[in-house]
Amino acid sequence: MLFPTIDFGLFFALSLALVWSLNSQNNLKKVVLLALSLAFYASWNWRFLLLLLASGVISYLVGLYVDAAAARPFRRFALALGVALDLGILAYFKYLDFFIAQVLTFAHALGLNPSIAFVNVTLPVAISFMTFHAISYIVDVYRGRLAASRSPVDILLYISFFPHLVAGPIVRAHEFLPQLASPRNPGDFSLSENMLLILGGLFKKMVIANYLAVRFVDPVFTDPSQFSRFDLIMAVYAYAIQIYADFSAYTDIAIGVAALLGYRFPENFNQPYRALGIGDFWRRWHMTLSTWLRDYLYIPLGGNRHGALATARNLMLTMVLGGLWHGANWTFLIWGAMHGAALVADHSWRRSVVFARYGAGRIAKIVDWALTFHFVCFAWLFFRSPSLDSATQYILGIWTDNGAQSTMPGIVPPLIACGALTQIVPPQTRAALGAMLDDRGAVAQAAFGFAILYVVIAMAPSASAPFIYFQF
Amino acid sequence: METTPHKSAVGAAAVLTPRAPSPEARDALAMKAAASHPASVSSPRRRILIIYAILGLAWFAFPGGLVDWLDERNATGWLAAPLALARGIDAASAATGVKAVGQGLRKRFSSIVGTDED
Repeated sequence: MLFPTIDFGLFFALSLALVWSLNSQNNLKKVVLLALSLAFYASWNWRFLLLLLASGVISYLVGLYVDAAAARPFRRFALALGVALDLGILAYFKYLDFFIAQVLTFAHALGLNPSIAFVNVTLPVAISFMTFHAISYIVDVYRGRLAASRSPVDILLYISFFPHLVAGPIVRAHEFLPQLASPRNPGDFSLSENMLLILGGLFKKMVIANYLAVRFVDPVFTDPSQFSRFDLIMAVYAYAIQIYADFSAYTDIAIGVAALLGYRFPENFNQPYRALGIGDFWRRWHMTLSTWLRDYLYIPLGGNRHGALATARNLMLTMVLGGLWHGANWTFLIWGAMHGAALVADHSWRRSVVFARYGAGRIAKIVDWALTFHFVCFAWLFFRSPSLDSATQYILGIWTDNGAQSTMPGIVPPLIACGALTQIVPPQTRAALGAMLDDRGAVAQAAFGFAILYVVIAMAPSASAPFIYFQF
Repeated sequence: METTPHKSAVGAAAVLTPRAPSPEARDALAMKAAASHPASVSSPRRRILIIYAILGLAWFAFPGGLVDWLDERNATGWLAAPLALARGIDAASAATGVKAVGQGLRKRFSSIVGTDED
């Protein structure tokens, strides 16, 4: 059930009425929300419901044990067991075949022929996000940031809550669970602002991301040898806009839907292509993943407490594993390593004497922005390519002009410009417009909301491609 | 893993931390928002009606999608009643000319984009 579909529109309309009609009966409301979330997940593959339930049960039991165990070694053991079980499930479904392939390649290189078979399992939707939510809960309980929940419904709902279930944002247990404690107050959320968030998300996904993908990016990355150097370069920029429009659209819709149901999610994007430096980029791009990696991986690895070399190692490890989290493919690993190396360089550069002297100047900032943006775009090339061979072929295509004429459709530059506009518009615009609409009354809100939805439907293709982050 | 706050968090923050508002600031913002929306304006029923109105208007403007959607799922006839309603809306939309405007705009945008949509 994709967000921009009639299925989800009907599902959301039903959920909205059900949830608010049960607001005063909080326990019943949570059971209904859980049932809706499980139905949402089952719409992809009902068999994986067992996986979701297993993840919830593991988190619930481990949380209780960690909370109850007085001695530190027992708490630590329970935490390690819980994390290992969560990661074990992820490893089995997502990485085992990749690992077997590497072992076989290595063995063949040594002239060996081991009889290891691939497991060939279907990758469950949302498994990476589910795992990160589950780990967040048990680690937060271990660290004393929240008490273990006595309610299995709360834990299952935290992991499976349908707006964030499939592609985030990654909501921390200590951010979400307290919101389940009492009935929600609709006055905490601006209707118009969240409506604009959802409709803006639909526009970014249905119009910008879909058309860029179908009309230009997908054909170019499928067979780069058929396209001119200019097209290859433009397709990288187009993909940078496409992935931003696609992923930020999903999180905008998720945040807006959750807010209309009365629950607050953290922001996930803050105009990332305006970043000055790679560190700044990761403070703006997929913010809930970067903070998750910082709190649950980088700091436990030692963070920056043991000198420059250890800091560099920890940054590299964090980013390589963050890259691998996206998928079992060398392209993601290289993408993560590139960002890790860039973060190490960025970290050192910003502490250098040269930066202290010249870094604040206008020209230095322009150079900083240009280098950051083009590095991020270049790294996307690996992220988007289906294999390392394909990425190499793509880079060679840019390097050696094949003499082909550009076939870039005329709609691509306006779509890229539209995407670029989202990086320039002041972030407060939506809140200001929302507040203004809230003051205008119900008719104005409905008319404005309908006008935007009308434009989106008039411009959208008849079928939407899945969100890019669904595969992760 | 450590259980105490880390010195490294300070350094790591420079690299990986988003600048999020503090919980206190969030609460203050939430209270401000609640204060700015009186109970009648922020009542769930009113909000649901506005959202249903938007969805209903979109259905009237582009009625074909829901007819097709229901038709595809009506193999056993269990959706006969909603399908009849959807067809009624479709006919009303066509009779008032609303449907034709939407279809025309979609065709026009498809030709601009270069997709072969009917």
